[in-house]
Amino acid sequence: MAYPLGWSVRLQVVVRRERWPGGSRAGAVALVYPGQMVEPDQPVIRLKHEERHEELSDLPRLSLPAVTRKLPAIQPAGAAHHLNDTGTMLAVPTLGEETVPAGLRGRVVDVTARGGVVIESQVVAVQGVLGAGPQVAGILTLWQALGKGNSCSRQPIPPGAILVVPGPLSFLLLRHALNSGVVGIIASSIFLRDLEGFLHADLLELVNSPNAEALQSRLPPLTIMLTEGLGSLAMPARLLQLLSCYQGRVVLLSGWTSVRQRVLPELLISLTAAEAEALPAQEPELTLVPGARVRICCGDYRGRTGEILSLFLHRQRLPSGVYAHAARILLEEGEVIVAALSCLDRIG
Amino acid sequence: MQTQLNQQEGQAAAHRKEAAAANSILVADCGSVLTKVSLLGLVEGQYRLMARGEAPTTLAAPQEDITRGIVQAINEIELVTGRQIIVDGHLLVPEQLDGNGVDVFVTTISAGGPLRLVVLGAASPTLTDLVRQAVSGLYAELHALPSPTFSASMAAGQLSQPGSTPLPGVGPAPWTPERLALEWRRQIDRLRELQPHAAIIVGMADGPTGATPIQEACQLLLNAAHEQREKTRTFPLPVLYAAAPQYVEASRRLINGAGEVMRLDPLVSTANLGPISMAASSLYERTILRRLPGSDTLWSWSAAAPVATATSLSSLVRFLAHHYTMNVMAVDAGGANTTLLLAGERGEFIPLVNAGIGVGSGLGELLKRVGSQNISRWLPFDVSDEELRQFVLNTMLHPHVVPSNQRELHISQAFAREAILLTAEALRTGALSNFSPDLILATGSVLAHAPRPAQAALILLDALQPRGVTSLVLDRTLLFQQLGAIATVNPVAAVQVNENDAVTHRLGTCVIPYGALPPDQIALRVVVEYSNGRQVQVEVMSGSIEVIPLRLNEQALLTLYPASTVDVGLGPGERARAAEEIDGGLVGLIIDARGRPLMLPADKAERQARLLQWSQAIGA
Repeated sequence: MAYPLGWSVRLQVVVRRERWPGGSRAGAVALVYPGQMVEPDQPVIRLKHEERHEELSDLPRLSLPAVTRKLPAIQPAGAAHHLNDTGTMLAVPTLGEETVPAGLRGRVVDVTARGGVVIESQVVAVQGVLGAGPQVAGILTLWQALGKGNSCSRQPIPPGAILVVPGPLSFLLLRHALNSGVVGIIASSIFLRDLEGFLHADLLELVNSPNAEALQSRLPPLTIMLTEGLGSLAMPARLLQLLSCYQGRVVLLSGWTSVRQRVLPELLISLTAAEAEALPAQEPELTLVPGARVRICCGDYRGRTGEILSLFLHRQRLPSGVYAHAARILLEEGEVIVAALSCLDRIG
Repeated sequence: MQTQLNQQEGQAAAHRKEAAAANSILVADCGSVLTKVSLLGLVEGQYRLMARGEAPTTLAAPQEDITRGIVQAINEIELVTGRQIIVDGHLLVPEQLDGNGVDVFVTTISAGGPLRLVVLGAASPTLTDLVRQAVSGLYAELHALPSPTFSASMAAGQLSQPGSTPLPGVGPAPWTPERLALEWRRQIDRLRELQPHAAIIVGMADGPTGATPIQEACQLLLNAAHEQREKTRTFPLPVLYAAAPQYVEASRRLINGAGEVMRLDPLVSTANLGPISMAASSLYERTILRRLPGSDTLWSWSAAAPVATATSLSSLVRFLAHHYTMNVMAVDAGGANTTLLLAGERGEFIPLVNAGIGVGSGLGELLKRVGSQNISRWLPFDVSDEELRQFVLNTMLHPHVVPSNQRELHISQAFAREAILLTAEALRTGALSNFSPDLILATGSVLAHAPRPAQAALILLDALQPRGVTSLVLDRTLLFQQLGAIATVNPVAAVQVNENDAVTHRLGTCVIPYGALPPDQIALRVVVEYSNGRQVQVEVMSGSIEVIPLRLNEQALLTLYPASTVDVGLGPGERARAAEEIDGGLVGLIIDARGRPLMLPADKAERQARLLQWSQAIGA
């Protein structure tokens, strides 16, 4: 599946996204009007209470992430994630009067029939390979693992945050994040059994459902985006570095992944005017040419990134015996391999 | 109106005339994963395949234009031939004096997903099955939502009969008003979940529930439309009305703006399938093909309206069966769909498109339907459920990837077996039980790109389990799917390319003895007389596979001496001598004496050893 925005990371791109917190039956009232400028932490939708049909439901219904009360802020970058009692507007999921923050800075361009608000914004966009959960807004927070000997259960995790975990996730860490009131989590990878165990859902069915968007709201209230996919793959250093630059920002995360609708999870970080000006505007080029940065999406080197050194003129015989167009790749670790072009996603 | 029609017919006829005189034909097949483009041209008075290119299909973001993938595949052809076909992003038509451009462009499409169709009203298993038959040749997914009152009535009727079992999904609990209300709610939810492209209302009003199921079907659509109007999906939904004719106007009034009602003959028997099939086909073109991103450009390039790949393949299979007076079976193991087509020498034709079951994006549904045990039984190594599920998820997210190592190759071929087997099973009890194919055509990337021809042959033998004597042909050029569409504009080109290029990858003739094969004894003695007079005699043990060398373009006379309980098509123990010489192939003469139905050993170690043994014997 090619990245809908071209590359896995777009440093500056204008997007239009409907702000909609999920749940196909929830009604909503827009609190803003087309043409209005909004800030990421500004409430833009008030949710009506859902009709209750518990007797029909075979899955747990869960509340939506919302703004309900003031939450403690997160310490500046570098400090551990201890909390104080002043600061941001974002809140943990709860029932009651629910409003939804914009998550994006920009202009409202439309209000949809269901009450969603379409916002146009200039953003840094990071696309994941796999994810789950509806769209949520939260404060981007880098999770710093403690040293050996400290269990993850003792690691403080700020509620209302969208947590960046540099390494692979585990079931325990997900449970810990959920219990801490974190609304979203961005990590490199996870084993399938851990993810399905946490979601209480068949992931294959989830990504293949004709109505996958509606199903997202039935999952535990923790939106997940995996940048590398399944397994125990690490997050590329340059991506981690990029995310750390925006720590503390209110960002918009969607975990919705659909094979049928060709949707991938994404993290959108709104840029200020000054930042947008400073960042290079670059149209993503998808052609696989020497010099292109690529990610390997199958086989023994899955998840590794590198640069195309050269392309073979004729089809090459792969270790599987299949003949395919191929390229020589210099991996970031310095190894040179031959990979089929079909196994390469251009990422830069 | 009539004048307009005449003008259109005139233009179409003119197109056909131009196409019939074409020097060059470019044909694209846009699959769910790959777009294949072939250039056909006149070489010494005969149409031949000149070059072909392949590129990922570009329906998804960021390209979101089906023609981008076509252009990329054409670029590959341009590189090979030096002929310029695309100029400033446009197709150069007709062929120029300098040899650039092409005269005709035609397209087949299997990308875009299936047509989701819901059967409403008095949707009994019998009527649902009839609708299924009507749409079996299309990329269509069918879901039955019988009206709550009809379900209650059926359950009551069934339960009143001693020893009867309830309808699937209809529990034995009494149908109280509360339960009916719950069922009503469940159906609206289900309709929203399915997001159908169209609905079909079936059932006559002569049952105990009268016209209530029809009324409830209309009401269901109304309610769903009312809810959906507040959300994103747009109504009205196309509604095929194949129910009691006296209520068509009342239904139209009731549905009002929620659906566009199209009246058809009431569905009561197989005699009414034709109109439903045609209406569904037209809906497929309107709601799927015409809505593909880039379709306007594609239609403007094409000499004839693009057709579904399954439709094109159907035309080819029927033509071959008619032309060569033989039973032909075609199997297309695609990424999102699996297609099985049977065409008999007497004009019989049975198509079955298993929409959503495939070896790319269709893997998820396939695994759900068959289970991981049925996949792992074809693997000569241990594999965990998690590894299989992970493989499926990765392939669904990256359906264009090719297996990069032996393990992935084995797993993808195991899935291919099950996709074909599952499709064949649907026909096994009916049409396939008496159908003995003389020729099996196999297409689809997983088969065409198999590293060894013997691997493709073994997949076909495992999954289709033919009996008697048959020939296997592999479509390594991936041309079969396109030939039917070519035939609509230039039949001569289709025939010549088929004979010159498409069927050149003959895998070989297969002899498959069946009946009671004596365990650990000789099942069959085979005598092969080569054209040069050399004679070979082979004794084949029950449970084994043997390959007798008979190369491509070689022919030989074949005599079969089965054991007394073994049949090779003429009855148990009956000796058979081929009246004509049989053809060789890339694999050779294959004798598959493993028995029918094929039984794999229950013990894992023994099964894995046997799979390896068979694989080595056939040269896979």
